[in-house]
Amino acid sequence: MVHALSEIRRVLIPNGILIDLRPLLSRWEVEVASARETRITGKVNDFEVGIADDTAANRSMAEAESNGWFIREREEFFSYVYSWDTPHDMEEWIDDEWNDFIELDEATQRSTRSAWALSDGDARAQLRIKMLIGRWRRVKTRD
Amino acid sequence: MRKAIYSMTIQKDIEGNEKKYLHEFADFSHKRVVEIGCGEGRLTWQYAHASSLTIGLDSDHGALRVASIDAPHDRKHKIHFVHSEAEHLPFSKETFDIAILAWSL
Repeated sequence: MVHALSEIRRVLIPNGILIDLRPLLSRWEVEVASARETRITGKVNDFEVGIADDTAANRSMAEAESNGWFIREREEFFSYVYSWDTPHDMEEWIDDEWNDFIELDEATQRSTRSAWALSDGDARAQLRIKMLIGRWRRVKTRD
Repeated sequence: MRKAIYSMTIQKDIEGNEKKYLHEFADFSHKRVVEIGCGEGRLTWQYAHASSLTIGLDSDHGALRVASIDAPHDRKHKIHFVHSEAEHLPFSKETFDIAILAWSL
């Protein structure tokens, strides 16, 4: 990761901007949402490997800063919402795409299916992901 | 991760926060941009219209093929997709104004 940051520094102009945009594991909330209401039905479980990835990424950015490559200018968190027609679709997606780093436990699956079945006809299953966005300025010195 | 074919309807970023924050954090107007981890170009289309040049990089050939097909015809002259690893960027030094690490650090 640090080598990639070194490469990015090389191809950026002095004072150029690096945008670091990525999800952070934090037991993302599962929701059932309709036009009328949004109900939180549980949280996903994070796997250690995903948490370790986040830690490694944060450490790489910190190392790039301490090396004098970039200066952090701004950082914020925001929600990124995935939405599926049904809880089953959500479960299938998580199982196929994200099973390396999160899981839905049985209790959350049951509460989500139940809430969806009792909700309005337009209800969807949602996952509210925590996102980090950071702006870093390449330090002006030339190589 | 395994790629699957889905019959379901999935919607991403339904609150539009990613695009909003991206444009709050950087002004892409007339800038040369490299996006590392562009995948199928989902994020690329959120800003590339404003840039003077956008290069999307990814190590996934299939995703890049989709991105190239999806590129708006009238912008193909300034949006390019390149197969590469982030550790070896095939560009000269000081080529870009903005770099985006897109879900990839």
